[in-house]
Amino acid sequence: MGLLISRGMARRYDAKTTSFSTEGRLMQVEYAIESVNRSTPTLGILTKEGVILAAKKLVLSKLLAQEKMSEKMYLIDDHIICSVCGMSSDALVLVEKGREECQNYFYTFKEPIPVERLVELLSNTIHIPTQYGSSRPFGTSILFAGYDSHSKFQLYCADPSGNYASWKAHVLGINNANGISFLKEEYKDDMSLEEGLKLTLKTMCKTLDATHPKPEDFEIVVVKKDLTGGVQIVPLADKVVQDLIDKSGLVVPEKQQPHTFN
Amino acid sequence: MGILGNKMSDQYNGAALVGMCGKECVAIACDTRLGVQLRTIDTNFNKVFKVNDRTMIGLTGLATDIQTVSAKLHKEEKVYRLEEGETLTASMFANFVSHFLYKQRFAPYIVTPIVAGLDYDSITKEWKPVMAGYDLIGCMDQNNTFAVGGTCSELLYGACESFYKEGMGPDEIFEVISQALLTSMDRDILSGWGANVYILTPTQLITKKLLTRVDQQLFQYSNLLSVKKKKKKKKK
Repeated sequence: MGLLISRGMARRYDAKTTSFSTEGRLMQVEYAIESVNRSTPTLGILTKEGVILAAKKLVLSKLLAQEKMSEKMYLIDDHIICSVCGMSSDALVLVEKGREECQNYFYTFKEPIPVERLVELLSNTIHIPTQYGSSRPFGTSILFAGYDSHSKFQLYCADPSGNYASWKAHVLGINNANGISFLKEEYKDDMSLEEGLKLTLKTMCKTLDATHPKPEDFEIVVVKKDLTGGVQIVPLADKVVQDLIDKSGLVVPEKQQPHTFN
Repeated sequence: MGILGNKMSDQYNGAALVGMCGKECVAIACDTRLGVQLRTIDTNFNKVFKVNDRTMIGLTGLATDIQTVSAKLHKEEKVYRLEEGETLTASMFANFVSHFLYKQRFAPYIVTPIVAGLDYDSITKEWKPVMAGYDLIGCMDQNNTFAVGGTCSELLYGACESFYKEGMGPDEIFEVISQALLTSMDRDILSGWGANVYILTPTQLITKKLLTRVDQQLFQYSNLLSVKKKKKKKKK
C-alpha cells in the first residue's frame, strides 16, 4: 500500500495531470487517490435486504455551529445516497451535478435514474480533468448506495481516476486496509440487514481503532425497501446505533489508549 | 388557425381552472377534457398537479405546454428539496413560477398557471392560504380570494364573484368551488367532460371527482380499438 515515488525521475512528471511519467503513471491522479486515503473513513456494505453506508463524523472544532446537513452523506435522489471521502468542496461539485442529472433523467424518461448510469455520468465528469489540461483531478472518492428496479440494491465506488466499480463492501479513507482485510474475512453474501449493520459497526471500529464507539461519532444510513415496496433511505437515529453497539459485542480492551483523528 | 397560431393556441385544447382561498385551506379545481379544437380526445386529462405537501399547481392553455411546464417545475422543486434539505414553501414556489415563465419572455409557454398553497406563519401559528394566478409570461396576481384560468375564464370570474365569500372551511369551499366551476364549464364547449376538485388543508389533501355534463362532440380512440369485428362466415 502507499505510493512508491522513485526519487528524481517521477517527480519531473508529476506537475501536470496531462503527462505520463516514465513509468507510465499519471502522478497527479495517484496523488489525488493518496489524498483520499488520508481522509476520514467511510464504508459501504451491500446486503440482500439493503445497502448500508457509514461514515465517521468529522469534528474539527467545538466552535463549529451544528450543521443541519451532513458533511459526508448526501442524498442524490430519492433512491440514491452517496458518502464522500476526501475534499468536500470537490465532492459538492459532483453531488450537485449528480442531483441535476437525476432530475434531467426523470424529466426525460419519467423513471428514476438507474444507479449505475448516474455513477457512470459522474465518473465521466471526474475523468475529464485527468485527461484535459489546466485543472487538477477531483480529490474525492465517492461511495454510492442505491436501489433501482433493474439491478436492485447496489453499491459503487468512484475514485479520482474516473474509474468506478461495483462493490459488495468497501472502505475508504484512513486505515482502509484494516477495514478491507476485516471485511474480506467477515463478509457473507447472504447477510440480513441486521447482520450487515453489526458488521458495519465492527468494521468501523476496526478501521478507526475505536475502543469506545459512541453513536455521536458515526453516521449510518440504510437504503432499504419500505412496507409498500418503495425505496426508503433512512439515517439511523442515535438510539438505534447505541442499540447496535450493545448488541454487536464490541469488546473494550483493558488499557484505554488515547487516539486522535485527522 | 392551427397550434402555432398565436391567437388560437390557448383555445386549441380547452381547459377550465379555478382556485379559491378559505380559512386555513385552499381549493383548486379543473376540468378533465383534452380536445383538439372541437374534437374531444381524452376525458381524463388532469390539469392540477401536486408540487409538495403544501402546494398545488394547476395549468391551462396548450396541453403540451401544460405537460412540459408541470414536469419542469416538478424537476426544479425536487432539485431544491435535495439541495436545501427542506421543502419549498408555497409563496416561494409561487414566485418561482413567475420567474420561470418570464425566462421565456420571447418564446413563451402558452399556459396560465394557478398556484394554490398554504404557508405556515410561525409568528401567528396559522396556515395562510397562498393563491396566485399568472399570465403566460409570468405576471403574478396574488390575492386572498380566487384565481381563474382557461377558455371559460370570463364565465368563471362571474361565477366566483357571485359565489365566493371569505373564511370558508373545507366543506363549504368544496361546494362553492364546484358550483362555480360547473356553471361556467357547462356553458363552454371547449372545457368540461368531468372535473377534479382538490382541497388542501394543513393535514390532508382531499381529492374529489365531480359528475358533469358529458355531451360535447366525442371521438374516443380507445373505443374504436376495442370494437371487435364480426367475421362473416362464407356460405359454400
